[in-house]
Amino acid sequence: MSNGKLSSRTILVVGGGIAGISATVEAAEAGYEVVLVESSPTLGGRVAQLNRYFPKLCQPTCGLEINYQRIKKNRAIKVYTMTSVGKVEGETGNFTVSLNTRPRFVKANCTACGDCAGAAESEIDNPFNYGMDKTKAAYLPHAMAFPLRYVIDPSVIGSPEAEKIKASCTVDAVDLEDKEGSFEIGVGAIIWATGWQPYGAEKITQYGYGEVADVINNVEMERLAAMNGPTAGRIVRPSDGKEAKRVAFIQCAGSRDEKHLPYCSRICCLGSLKHAAYLREQYADAEIDIYYIDIRAHDKLEGFYQKLKNDPQVNFIKSKPGSIVRGESGDPTVKGENTITREIYANSYDLVVLATGMEPSARGEGSSVNLQRDEYGFVVPCVFEPDGMIAAGVASGPLDVSMSVQSATAAALRAIQAIAQGEGK
Amino acid sequence: MTAHLPETKRKYDLTFARWVSRNVHGGDKLNMCMQCGVCSGSCPLGEQMDYGPRRLFMMIRAGMKDEVMKSDTIWNCVACYRSEVRCPRGVPVTHILDSLSVVAVREGYAEAKNAETTRFAKAFWWSAKKFGLTDERLVTALYYFSGGIGEGIRKGMANQKIALRMIGKKRMHVGMPRKIKRRGELKKILAKAVEIENRNDAAAGEEVKS
Repeated sequence: MSNGKLSSRTILVVGGGIAGISATVEAAEAGYEVVLVESSPTLGGRVAQLNRYFPKLCQPTCGLEINYQRIKKNRAIKVYTMTSVGKVEGETGNFTVSLNTRPRFVKANCTACGDCAGAAESEIDNPFNYGMDKTKAAYLPHAMAFPLRYVIDPSVIGSPEAEKIKASCTVDAVDLEDKEGSFEIGVGAIIWATGWQPYGAEKITQYGYGEVADVINNVEMERLAAMNGPTAGRIVRPSDGKEAKRVAFIQCAGSRDEKHLPYCSRICCLGSLKHAAYLREQYADAEIDIYYIDIRAHDKLEGFYQKLKNDPQVNFIKSKPGSIVRGESGDPTVKGENTITREIYANSYDLVVLATGMEPSARGEGSSVNLQRDEYGFVVPCVFEPDGMIAAGVASGPLDVSMSVQSATAAALRAIQAIAQGEGK
Repeated sequence: MTAHLPETKRKYDLTFARWVSRNVHGGDKLNMCMQCGVCSGSCPLGEQMDYGPRRLFMMIRAGMKDEVMKSDTIWNCVACYRSEVRCPRGVPVTHILDSLSVVAVREGYAEAKNAETTRFAKAFWWSAKKFGLTDERLVTALYYFSGGIGEGIRKGMANQKIALRMIGKKRMHVGMPRKIKRRGELKKILAKAVEIENRNDAAAGEEVKS
């Protein structure tokens, strides 16, 4: 109550990935009101799109399930999906935030029975599988969606198909008149957990992503290995469905490169090691080559690296490849110089996986807000003075899942401190 | 494995890396190199170089001055710029190799007149300066005969068919050499370029001795 205005004890969390979810439940369980907004139709973010994750190689359904329970049980949490931040005005303790919502065309009484998907005819690229397969225009984002509610793609709205979808719903949950909207809320602190996106591998032109068949990136590899992915967990080549047994991983595809992402993205080394483990588990005769500059298996996971290093079917080649081209047999061929043996090589594979790095999400969240960002676009977390604008998870820099959760817990505490300090003035 | 293990008996010039940094164009960027190998791996000449850029740069750091200055890597670079474009650390690979060949001649390590690339460059430059255009026929002839009369005749005979086909397709000109208009202007431009280069080099603490 510093300047006569009523200060707000509500915390806004922007982004419903693992960091946003963690910050939300931590702050709410400490007794604060929390509003969680997510621009896509479901919580879960990039973690929901993983097959398994570190440190214990669990399936993400487990961690998400626990956190969804914590959200459901806590009456201090309000979740808004398909909602993004418009304008932010005011100061710590007294922010006024305008939120914009996109139409979902499905009301809260949806029972997720799937009749609408059965009635829909047109298909769209499935964003959950990075467009590697199709989904119906009336769809559930994925099995672990929160809220567990269908979405209708705007592309079919206004067509007879939309009417058919509406007619198929037995509980009258389809609302074709759903419109974009906006509303304002007052909050005391804002946690930006806006996350990341994989670096556009097509920008590294010499690696042929999008041009040479069977050159994919690491997030696509994660979907290929997942039971709920486009191939039901069979790691096969996208071009002909052949089993991918001879596989190359190209580390630092975009990262540690002044022409792309100058920083180390931190997760990709262990990511590729994990992918190598998927392959070894699936195919006893898999042969894997990992091309690297340095292996940076950070933290407690050095042992995981050592285990694969001792595997005779996993080779580590110290080299940043020069190019990836289509070989005479049609297979992707990796060319470069082995910097240990000093030999020039050209090796063919069934599948080449580019270990692309993380860049700050460009989905526009907070772009209208004057957030302090570093030269790479990550939000600078304010450490020294109590500030109501706090970054959590990969919005603040490249982190893995467990570090994101730590960062989110810290952000929740910092938000509480910022509010408490404002009240004490 | 053709590993170059350090010999305890031989001497390494430990000041060489610093000398390269100061005397070679782009040499000051060499300390950015992280030995990833993308340059050598991208080189279209690949195995036809004795070392390739990555190894050469490590040898500079190691102070292997003799081997660096006598290597064919600096002469065989065709300036395709692939390594320079792909280098994740912004090392100007092509510029460094080119400048190394200049200092190798200046330091008496390499006879520029013996290097094929220098001989071709001279022939090319002669035509460009004289006519403002390159005359394929004269440039080729000058280059072929720069290695002696015997070599000139041998190379000329070997490539006769190609030359005739080029003439047939009007890709090689017969008759008086073509010239640009106002060659005096070109002369002035070139004189100015030399002046600027000398001024830049003087500013960098050295003079071009040509």
